[in-house]
Amino acid sequence: MNLERVIFGFFIILSLTFNFVFVVGEIDNPSHHNVWILTIAILVSLIATGLKLGDRSQVGALLLAASLVADLLLITARILWVVYESDTEIGPSPESMVTIVSLAGGALLANIVSVVILVGDTLMSRR
Amino acid sequence: MAATSELDRVSMIVLRYMRRPIFVLILVYAVGITGMALIPGKSADGDTEFMSLFHAFYFFTYTATTTGFGEIPSEFTDEQRLWAVFCLYMGVIAWLYAIGSIIGLIRNTHFVQALSEYRFSKVVKQISEPFFIICGFGDTGSLLARGLSDHHFVGVIIDRDPERIKALSLRDYNIKMPGLCGDSSAPRHLVDAGVKHPQCKAVIALTGDEDVNLKIAVMARFMNPDVHIICRSTSPKHEEHLAPLHNVTIINPFEIFAQLLSMAITAPRLHNLNSWLVRAKGVRLGRPLKAPGDNWILCGYGRMGKWLRQYMKLNAIEPLVIDPNLDKDQETSCFIKGYADHGTLERAGLTNARGIVAGTDSDSDNLNIMMSAQVVNPTVFTIVRQNHHENQLAFDSARADLIVQTSLTTGRRILKHLISPQIQQLIDYLYEQGEHITGEVSEQLSSIIGDNKPHLWCVTLDRPHALAAADLFQQGCKLVLRNLLRHPSDRDESLACMPLVIIRDGQSRMLPSLNEMVFMDDCILLCGTEKSEQLLGSTLNNSYTLHYLITGEEKARGYFFLLLEEKRERSQNRST
Repeated sequence: MNLERVIFGFFIILSLTFNFVFVVGEIDNPSHHNVWILTIAILVSLIATGLKLGDRSQVGALLLAASLVADLLLITARILWVVYESDTEIGPSPESMVTIVSLAGGALLANIVSVVILVGDTLMSRR
Repeated sequence: MAATSELDRVSMIVLRYMRRPIFVLILVYAVGITGMALIPGKSADGDTEFMSLFHAFYFFTYTATTTGFGEIPSEFTDEQRLWAVFCLYMGVIAWLYAIGSIIGLIRNTHFVQALSEYRFSKVVKQISEPFFIICGFGDTGSLLARGLSDHHFVGVIIDRDPERIKALSLRDYNIKMPGLCGDSSAPRHLVDAGVKHPQCKAVIALTGDEDVNLKIAVMARFMNPDVHIICRSTSPKHEEHLAPLHNVTIINPFEIFAQLLSMAITAPRLHNLNSWLVRAKGVRLGRPLKAPGDNWILCGYGRMGKWLRQYMKLNAIEPLVIDPNLDKDQETSCFIKGYADHGTLERAGLTNARGIVAGTDSDSDNLNIMMSAQVVNPTVFTIVRQNHHENQLAFDSARADLIVQTSLTTGRRILKHLISPQIQQLIDYLYEQGEHITGEVSEQLSSIIGDNKPHLWCVTLDRPHALAAADLFQQGCKLVLRNLLRHPSDRDESLACMPLVIIRDGQSRMLPSLNEMVFMDDCILLCGTEKSEQLLGSTLNNSYTLHYLITGEEKARGYFFLLLEEKRERSQNRST
């Protein structure tokens, strides 16, 4: 067991789970999606991206790319939330909510790719 | 140059052939269209109306090509219909003439040849990896092509016989091998086959005609001063011609055959190792043949027999030679004139002989000799020469102790030259060192590789082939061979491969120990499994795996973890 791999795996899987927690629920219902969780998901995803910087292997390059995609989509979703927040009294309208949640869903896909690569690489090396 | 001139030839032939049909078509069109435009028609409301030139052309197009026909833009008058009938017949005949000419051209053999040459040179031009030109696609040539395909190398093949080139396209090679039917000594064909191509590594002259082989070698040398040339030659006269050309390897099938046989007799373990390395059928490592050291009978004293006797004499064996074409003065106690039939063999003392070589140039004679020998003396050690590949089945069932097929041994020797020239050096080295070392090498190899098929490959420790290793060399690190050959999953285990030769600055180091240091640009010849080649290749290009193999520790990945590690090391240094 290697502490470095533990920290690395922790952040990558955590960013996937937070992303999932935000996306889960009815897609157009603002009360099912918490803006705080979206913000934390962005934070964790950024940390995971930072940990991936500087890995010179092929797998490292792919992991970094997947992470950057997730960051891009999550941050776009958060900006849209700011823009649509004044739609109604309780937050974004259902139509705007659909856009935000589907963007986060795209990020979820990128995060799944990240985790699959991580698990595959670990299984391949068998150490 | 070559491709454009071929293209010019093809297009020129087409144009010349099609000149008259095209003139006829133009004339017929002109007449038909003009007539239709001049004949008055009638519009829907009954006015006289002339067809425009475009409409006339449109009408003629669908008529002449027999596509179909409608009376547009308005219904035809009778005069127009009359002309339309004329147009129909005229147009169809002209088109049939033109199409018939094209079909005739396609079936013209010269045109087909020009087209296939053009296609061939285009395919060769697009080859991006190293390739070899094989002139002559007989038994040896096809065996060589098969071997090249097994090692994923491209062979460009030229042969005079169209049947062989047709057969080439039906073979299931791993890699597409372009083939051209033509005289391989013609410089034009050699250029088409890519003798001037920067990736052309060697020209191999294997035709049945020795003069042609010599011509190919000379032509290829003039056209590309650097390309390696391998030439099959059995006559001393040709060898004298070839010797002054530099970078030419002369392959004499008879000498190779004699070498192999004498190796089987004097160094059975090495013969066993050699046959195993070239993947000969039915050979198991560590089970050498038990060939007797004296009392040999040699049937057949042609070019091959002479080589064989010379090599046997080098090993202090004096064989008894039987041949029908011996000179009178040659007949001494060691030579018997006559066909090697039952009687002659008994006269030669077959009952007391311990080994017999059936080495005539006729397969049926050889099989006959074998049968008589096995009847007279069942314990005799039999070596039989197989001349033609198609007789394989008969020889397989003949139960000889050793079957040597000349085309096969030649093909394998050339393949060794092309794939890993060092392996022949190693065999020669082991021959000098004696059977003791060979036995040790065989034991090591069989313990590492087991029942798998041996795979030979070279790995060069330079930037394109071993990025991570080259980086380490540049940082001034020293690498030990043992560390490179550890298993990337568990460094306590080794890859299933064994280093045989290290080539450094043009010098070969045979059988390096695992503690040997390796340096930048070293070339290592390894024998192992194909899986281990892949693993070694990925290890040498992945700095993290290589670091683990050398130190046993995982290197930190990413800037953040590197920073952490440096900090930890600094604090450890401070505390100690």
